[in-house]
Amino acid sequence: MPQFEQIEVFQTLIFWSLVSFAILFFFLKKFAFPPILEALEMREKKIRGDIEDSEKLKEDAQTIKKELEETLKAAHGKAETIVQLASDEAKKFQEKSLQETEAKVRQVQKDAEQEIQGSRDKLLQEIRGYAAALTIASTEKFLKKALGDDDKKRLVDESIEQVIVELEKRQNN
Amino acid sequence: MENPIQHFEVHTIIPIHIGGLDLSINNAIVAMWVGLAVVSCMFLLSVRRGLSPVPGKLQSVLEIVVEFVQALVYEFIGKEEGRKYVPFIGSLFLFILACNLIGLIPGSYTITSQLVVTGAFAIGIFIMTLVIGFSKHGLRFLGILVPPGIPKILIPLMIPIEIISMVARPISLAVRLFANMTAGHTILYVLFGLAMSASLMVGWLPFGFTIVINGLEIAIAFIQAYIFTILTCVYIGDAIHLH
Repeated sequence: MPQFEQIEVFQTLIFWSLVSFAILFFFLKKFAFPPILEALEMREKKIRGDIEDSEKLKEDAQTIKKELEETLKAAHGKAETIVQLASDEAKKFQEKSLQETEAKVRQVQKDAEQEIQGSRDKLLQEIRGYAAALTIASTEKFLKKALGDDDKKRLVDESIEQVIVELEKRQNN
Repeated sequence: MENPIQHFEVHTIIPIHIGGLDLSINNAIVAMWVGLAVVSCMFLLSVRRGLSPVPGKLQSVLEIVVEFVQALVYEFIGKEEGRKYVPFIGSLFLFILACNLIGLIPGSYTITSQLVVTGAFAIGIFIMTLVIGFSKHGLRFLGILVPPGIPKILIPLMIPIEIISMVARPISLAVRLFANMTAGHTILYVLFGLAMSASLMVGWLPFGFTIVINGLEIAIAFIQAYIFTILTCVYIGDAIHLH
């Protein structure tokens, strides 16, 4: 194999390969690797920072969401209480106004009944007065003389006339 | 058909002799320089253009390579200890990868198919792990020869085994890369030679295989660079953490 036979090139191959490697190593160590490693580190830091920030933001969002949900829940509870209170109040008010109306109706009914009773009593009183007056007047006439049919009729008419006049007088009074 | 391993021959292009040393520039070295120039240009272009927070195609590729090397180093050496080794491991990976890939271009040369080159790197890494181990732990580094938890009676047996295992590391590291590159290129050369020498009626078959094997060789170029790098990380990690 030429790799073992060409002994005279061993020196130069070893020398130049080691020198070339040393130069490459120096170049990469001095100029290439530091900026690339720095850029990688910066990016890693940035990504890690961004991830941490996003995690924090996520946690904040979760907290805010939780708070909002709690607030919403409390608001729902409050609204339900308000609705319940309003409903109770409306019920009470309805019952109260029903009771008042019923009482008013009863009062009006009672007043009407009393008025009717008063009018009735008054009317009966009046009828009683008229009947008495009529009876008295008729009796007076019968007692004064025996009368013919024409006279009877006339006397009755007179009595009625008298009663009417009496009534009109009373009404005018 | 020509000798299938003939293309592993190195041809001097510019003869350079300094003192008693032959430092001539040959086709293997030129191919290596082309590969390294491509890698350097990629990094230089990306860095000089300015690294964007939203990376483009080239920057993305380079970042993937650097992140890959960084992950390897952090896994086997550790994050704190390994940070300083990232440029070295990255350079080693890119060097081997560039040399492996540039050799797949017809007419080019794979310097990693030279055992002296892979051997030089493997021995260099072996010495480096010893230096790291002794500088970090002093003589306690020799404790690496005694695996934890073994009965005391087995220690005299284990120490020679561990020494052999330690010495085998650079040998296996060097031979694995050299053998893979040599075998792959030999197969490619044989198949391509068959395709060229056979008539068109049957020549398409080895030519098709050449294309398939070439694809496979690209994968092997990556895999071998990865294996060399990962084993280097493991050896350095062992020297730092002692088992």
